[in-house]
Amino acid sequence: MSMTKLTLQIDGRSIETESGRTILEVCKENDITILTMCHLKGITDVGACRLCLVEIEGVSKLMSACTTKVADKMIIRTSTEKIKRYQRITTELFAAERNHVCSVCIANGHCELQKLAYDVKMDHIRYPYLFPQCEVDTSHPLYVLDHNRCIVCTRCVRVCAEVEGAYNWDVMNRGTNVRIISDFNTPWGESITCSDCGKCVEACPTGALWPKAVVQGQLNKAPEFISDLIEKRKMKL
Amino acid sequence: MDSTTKKQIVISPVTRIEGHAKITLQMDDRGQVTEARFHVNEFRGFEKFCEGRLYTEMPVISARICGICPVSHTISSVKACEMIQGVEPTYAGNLLRKLMHIGQNISSHALAFFHLSSPDFLLGYDSDPARRNILGLAEKYRDLAIRGIRLRKFGQEISERITGKKIHAMGIAPGGIAFPLTEENRKALLNWIPEAKETIHIGINVIKKFHDENEAMVKSFSPTPTLYLGTVGSGGQHELYDGKLRFVDEDGIILQDHVDPKRYLEFIAERSVNWSYLKMPYYKPYGFEKGIYRVGPLARLNVASRMKTPEAQAEFEQFKKINNSKPVHGTFYFHYARLIEALSGIEDAEIILNDKLITDKHVQHFARWNNHVGIGCSEAPRGTLFHHYVTENTGKIKKVNLLIATGQNNPAMNRSILDVAQQYIHGDQIEEGMLNRVESAIRCYDPCLSCSTHATGAMPFMVELVDSEGRILKTIAREN
Repeated sequence: MSMTKLTLQIDGRSIETESGRTILEVCKENDITILTMCHLKGITDVGACRLCLVEIEGVSKLMSACTTKVADKMIIRTSTEKIKRYQRITTELFAAERNHVCSVCIANGHCELQKLAYDVKMDHIRYPYLFPQCEVDTSHPLYVLDHNRCIVCTRCVRVCAEVEGAYNWDVMNRGTNVRIISDFNTPWGESITCSDCGKCVEACPTGALWPKAVVQGQLNKAPEFISDLIEKRKMKL
Repeated sequence: MDSTTKKQIVISPVTRIEGHAKITLQMDDRGQVTEARFHVNEFRGFEKFCEGRLYTEMPVISARICGICPVSHTISSVKACEMIQGVEPTYAGNLLRKLMHIGQNISSHALAFFHLSSPDFLLGYDSDPARRNILGLAEKYRDLAIRGIRLRKFGQEISERITGKKIHAMGIAPGGIAFPLTEENRKALLNWIPEAKETIHIGINVIKKFHDENEAMVKSFSPTPTLYLGTVGSGGQHELYDGKLRFVDEDGIILQDHVDPKRYLEFIAERSVNWSYLKMPYYKPYGFEKGIYRVGPLARLNVASRMKTPEAQAEFEQFKKINNSKPVHGTFYFHYARLIEALSGIEDAEIILNDKLITDKHVQHFARWNNHVGIGCSEAPRGTLFHHYVTENTGKIKKVNLLIATGQNNPAMNRSILDVAQQYIHGDQIEEGMLNRVESAIRCYDPCLSCSTHATGAMPFMVELVDSEGRILKTIAREN
């Protein structure tokens, strides 16, 4: 597909770029901060977390920057009061939906959700906690899946399918009952597709997926390693 | 006796302890106290909600039980995890954990003595309740109060310099610890030793002076004999971190020696009561009535044959003279025992910090789940602490049993309250100072009822004298 040069405006800055790129990509290239959770460079964006919403002049609703392609003469705003309010609401809903207890979480201090809460200055939560009964799947010999800490960003699902090619993870149910499942909802340790590669664990932004070998203070996930791997594979050396 | 003439005194909340509790005193028609109950009216539920978690999370989750003794919970927990994995900690990792445990013991004992209890000794039991606290102490004995606060800081700094966090330290893992100690931090901790020792000696002088000036009160302050449980080393020496259990009777006769903590259920049973969330453990072979035993600093010194370090040994020899080498039963001597332990801890910390391998980088062994059951034990500041886990094949926790020091002292605390209440409370004329003495009996045990709730004398305090119909006969209120 041929690329065409185009000019657009983001937060008052005039920016030149090429067609086919997402607003998020262009923002990142130009050091414009956009909050994200479900985005992981190199894998397909799905616009699930709703944190990267931006205002586009002439469009009545907010659009997710990770799934919206840039267009010529687009006027985009990334940091309005409305956007900030929505980001705060979204973060509070993440926290209220499942059982996130940072103090005892394996990812404490290394968690993207925790960082997000700081970024949006979440000092309290206005919504009632749902306190759902969530399973902790310890059946895998190396890793744990804790649904209490899952925000259903589906980074694990996409990494497993698009990078490892194992297709172990999927999603079942709807709404607050939605759950990440291994194979056809069998214990992870009994999966016949999982290759034990651990990419899903690296990709997970919270303490939902973690290696059994570590304790709090030792977890150090590196999701950027997935992105680097994708780039290296493109080189076909 | 006609039950309609019974009266009851309620002390609620009990102040300057860790947690929330109340005391009820049942009185007969002649105004004599006939029964005392120490109610713990909060419920934590850790044993239940930890079910379903992975066992290696327990050292972190259980640390949140308490903000004063989190390291003890973590140590007991991590030992239980190591039994599940069948792994031993590395030499350096174990030393660092031991050092952190000592630090927490010093910090907790400093809190119990300088912040919570010394206002009674130095300002007086009958002094103004609004000033009978660490702030009141600072007004009158500024240097001592600051020293007490700094001693607590030293204890917490040990944890901070090893793990980066003062209170709920991260990184204590099955097989050792996650972080090695740097040379810079080792030196910084060593620099604290002289000041810490000096502060403890000042504290020891304070308590000894109080003993001398109040001999009758100290000796008669709930001296009811009990059995004692504590941890000792292979030579019977005082131990906090590793070792085996020793039970002694009221005359100091050894009932059980070098018992592996894994066998604790053979010797300890528990009974629940319908008026408290705190269970009533007892020495199983003797049954509930005769099997009341105590744990904690007084118990540890009563079971130990000797201390490990010279300055603490010198004080221990003086302590032993109190009851002619037999166990010291007077509840007031908890304070003295606490300070001797803290002194021992500071000396021990100096030895550990001078160990050539303390900064070794090999701090953790790694292993996987191997066994269903894990039992870990350590001597928390308030006494012997057991963590007992049962797991499924994948390491998921199926059952948790936590036997906490304060729980083990519970039957004895109830008895001490009765002793002191019978000694100081008679008739309807109740002064606030009398009630403070009853509270003080509890404070001797330094009970830890929750996570670090500290009431520095500023909590509302109300005593009601009510008859069995619920009619209030007399009220004494302490304002916020």
